[in-house]
Amino acid sequence: MTDKRDNMATSTPVGNQWLRGLYRRKDALWLAIWLGGLLTLWVWNMFFLNTPALWRIQKAFFNSLLTGSMVVVLAVGLGWITGVMLHMLERGEWKGVYFVASFLTNLLRSIPQIIVVLIGYIALTILLAREVIHSSFMQLLWIASTIAVAVFLEVADTVRARIEYFRTLDFVDAMLCCGISESRIINIEILWRNSRSHLLHKMIALFGVSTFLQCSIDFIISVGLSTDVSLSNFPLTLGSLLARLDSKQDILAVSNLFSDPGYLPVLFVRHLQGLSVAFCIVFTLLCIYNIANGYVRRHRIA
Amino acid sequence: MNERRYNIHIAAGGRELVAIDDFRLTESSLTVLLGESGIGKSLIARAIAGLLDPDELDVQIDSRPYTEYLKRQETLEIRRDGFFVFQEPSSHLNPLMKLREQLDEGSLAAAPDDKQFLGRLWRDATESQIRNILEVYPKPYRPSGGEKQRILAAMAFKKISTLDDAAPGTLFVFDEPTGNLDDKLRNEFLDLLAENMKNRRITVLLITHDYSLIGRLTRSYQAIAKRIVFEELVLHRGKLGLRRFEPEEYLSWLEERRAATRAPVKRESVVTLKSGPRVFGRTLIFSSDPNGQRQVPFEVRRGSLTYLKAPSGTGKTTVVKMMMGLVKPEHMSMSLGDATYTEHTPRRTWQKQVWGRRMTMVFQHADEALNQNAKVRDVFAGLPSSRFHNDDTLRQALSEFFDLESDFLEKPVKHLSGGQKQRLNLLRCLTLETDLVIMDEPLNGLDFSTAVKVLKQIEERLQAGRSVLVISHNEEIFDALVPSENVYYLTASV
Repeated sequence: MTDKRDNMATSTPVGNQWLRGLYRRKDALWLAIWLGGLLTLWVWNMFFLNTPALWRIQKAFFNSLLTGSMVVVLAVGLGWITGVMLHMLERGEWKGVYFVASFLTNLLRSIPQIIVVLIGYIALTILLAREVIHSSFMQLLWIASTIAVAVFLEVADTVRARIEYFRTLDFVDAMLCCGISESRIINIEILWRNSRSHLLHKMIALFGVSTFLQCSIDFIISVGLSTDVSLSNFPLTLGSLLARLDSKQDILAVSNLFSDPGYLPVLFVRHLQGLSVAFCIVFTLLCIYNIANGYVRRHRIA
Repeated sequence: MNERRYNIHIAAGGRELVAIDDFRLTESSLTVLLGESGIGKSLIARAIAGLLDPDELDVQIDSRPYTEYLKRQETLEIRRDGFFVFQEPSSHLNPLMKLREQLDEGSLAAAPDDKQFLGRLWRDATESQIRNILEVYPKPYRPSGGEKQRILAAMAFKKISTLDDAAPGTLFVFDEPTGNLDDKLRNEFLDLLAENMKNRRITVLLITHDYSLIGRLTRSYQAIAKRIVFEELVLHRGKLGLRRFEPEEYLSWLEERRAATRAPVKRESVVTLKSGPRVFGRTLIFSSDPNGQRQVPFEVRRGSLTYLKAPSGTGKTTVVKMMMGLVKPEHMSMSLGDATYTEHTPRRTWQKQVWGRRMTMVFQHADEALNQNAKVRDVFAGLPSSRFHNDDTLRQALSEFFDLESDFLEKPVKHLSGGQKQRLNLLRCLTLETDLVIMDEPLNGLDFSTAVKVLKQIEERLQAGRSVLVISHNEEIFDALVPSENVYYLTASV
């Protein structure tokens, strides 16, 4: 048997095996496509985009990536704590507290996410106007926190669903009977050891949602939030960069193709800022959608 | 008698599942294959019977590809004339056909009437009751596990009856055929098997981890006694091997235990459960005689081994789960030390006072009782008053039950055999210093030597003044170990 495997290994080049493995793992494949696409765009822009615009795109991309990552971390933390707390309250004896907590979370759930984020931006505007917040990082952290508040219940729902599922299995009762604490069983045995793939899938999806929400809200507030604070006061993100006049003009240039198809090559050298940002957003959302789906299939997440 | 020898290697995804160099089957004999669960008994039997898929598994028999083995004349004969009773009967039955239709399907249609087999396997049922069972589909009107097992056994006996004078090559495999049967039905099945063997020269492979079959097989079937071979599949230092198991090894041990069992010294009660608790709409009655005439409170005394007996499905596991506060009864009164626990006792109280402190419980199925995604070390993490302060103390405790490889503590539970999981399941509770350990089928899936070690641990626990309550279908073993004063019988009434 060993010989047979060895023979197979020597008859198939390692590179081919790697590619076949990548093709089977759609999540890894789309991650590679995403990174490859962004790299190609960056190299192209290095040659054809002016330095200040390239710097803006890099900064906007980095800020969006940082915000998305912070959203994921904050949402998972909040969702984990909320999910476990609701579960404990439901099974405990303080039913009144559970109903209040449950009502509040359902109330939050009933508000459209975009409205929650908008309220967060309004609060940020006030803080900026009163000069409470200064640094870009703190502004990004505020934005991330706002988006996290809008989306963390999705994590809390996953956490509760996983706990409920494992409650039906013998191993939870078997551990309880051995005197192992319930919080250890929930946090370590159920959520850490048995739900990491579910939570990671949720994190990938949340990253996509956060990118979408950020871009949407940046576009909405591009009309201005107050006389003192405008989009230019906020840290540069992909959404805010796309909402700028020069980027919008780049996008509108695409319509030239209807009357002059020969304009196509010009698009890729003259209107790069707007097109690059639009590409970054759409391509990122597409890739994240496929990474999440591939991950679900590979890990058979129901 | 001729012996067939096989060299079997099975792997999947580069991971070796089974590798045995000299597996033997004696022709025209009943080979009883013993050994702990998950060690590879079923896989070996399936490989020999030609039932593995060469596209899914990497199989080699006698160092030749499995596809060649499948083309051998003897394999073709096994597949044509033999029969395989699967351990999990549901996997054998077609959910879209009634049981009656399946009993008459294919070559079984040529068999004489099956009334005699069915009548014996459903000894206490009337003809119309049997007919009703045969008219159901395996799904959704599912027959019980025991009923399905009996249907498959009836199919196998029907198939045997189609053979006029079977060639010695005809192989019949029974994989854990009595796992869901009580002692009476188990004996009926063995009687039928022995009668069929007496009349025909078939080769039978009976796979089991129930060592209490040995007593019946050696004592009751003189006509085929010379044709019964006991083999044990053992894993030693990661290598699988077959050893001839001498029934005397088990029987003399049993006799010794029986002789050593004394009437219990009356000590104070650890737990007393009043007879007549109600749960799931049924009243549960404890009695000190098998007929349920003398109703008594269910009592476990300090330093005693207590045995709770009842036919399958009566509610033994429900009783102990109720005692542990895991199942909420409609009515119950249990005293544990000075405290009384009723149906109104809040869960918090069980958690603070009982679980892992006063009582603990070994669950029946180790597969379900352990977190499959944990490592061996993690099974013992978080226990109250754990004696395992570091890896060395843990390894020392485990070494009594396992051939420890260097990376054993790092192994994921899901990669262990069924028997290894059961040992971990037991050991986790045995390390706790509780007054009472409840054990639901503690010998499930263990080989004989491990079962003896487990029973020794139980004995040490009893000597230390702690108590053990057992539920087990290994009646022969526990009847020998438990004094009759400590045996309780459970009946249920609506």
